[in-house]
Amino acid sequence: MKKTLRLLVASTALTAGIGVPAWSAMQAPSDVLRPVAGFFEEAPQTMPLVLASDDDDDDDYGREGSRRGHDDDDDDDDDDCDDDDDDDDCRGGARNPAPAGTVAPPQNGLFGNGAPPQVQVN
Amino acid sequence: MKSLLATLALTTALTLPGLAMARPLTLTTTLTNYGGDGAYLALYVTDASGAYVGSLWMAGDKSRYYEHLSDWYRATGGDTAQVNGITGASVGAGRTLEITLDLADTLFDAGYTLRIDAAVEDMRDSPNEVAVPLTTAGAGTPVTGRRYVASFAYDM
Repeated sequence: MKKTLRLLVASTALTAGIGVPAWSAMQAPSDVLRPVAGFFEEAPQTMPLVLASDDDDDDDYGREGSRRGHDDDDDDDDDDCDDDDDDDDCRGGARNPAPAGTVAPPQNGLFGNGAPPQVQVN
Repeated sequence: MKSLLATLALTTALTLPGLAMARPLTLTTTLTNYGGDGAYLALYVTDASGAYVGSLWMAGDKSRYYEHLSDWYRATGGDTAQVNGITGASVGAGRTLEITLDLADTLFDAGYTLRIDAAVEDMRDSPNEVAVPLTTAGAGTPVTGRRYVASFAYDM
């Protein structure tokens, strides 16, 4: 009987010793218990959460035949497409083109010597 | 001495055709005072059948607006690689965009057309704003655009 009791206590202690830190590591909102999570297999798979915006009412191109701007309301949490930023990611990851002078012009057969155009705005 | 001369002759022979194949060209686009934000302009070339050949310049650097340059967009699928390295800022109302480049000589008098699509925020899009045949005779002759371009000319 004593032996069974001892086994029960030992297995409970073992379960608690392993289970509680593991559970805590998964639930912990802060980084306090992150080092503990490193002992478990889940740790390498820990990825930062990426917030995917579900806001589809910005950049509303509703008016036919017109280049509409972004809306400037303050409650729009999707700033990926703001004119002010230099973020290249927008509209499903479409990249803005490289500005003139940063890369060679495209090899489209139009540029006789491959030199980039010289541009000025007056 | 002989080998030096031979080298010089060879480099000259190789360089001359290259120079002859390109023609310096100045594209001058003046916008009207349409009273809106900066205009996006796509300058590109189509062949005799109207098929897209390539882009010469993109005024406007935000690719999300390119769909409003609808003819260019339809031809390229909005592929920004088409305008990598030949993209600059949009052009304000009343301003003049002057582009100097070496255009391949084979494009002249061969049925190619230089086209401009234009778009302005909160205003109507203007595909095919300008379409001028690339001919030596047409150089220096200004043309008027449909909506935003007051005048466009190419000079050799």
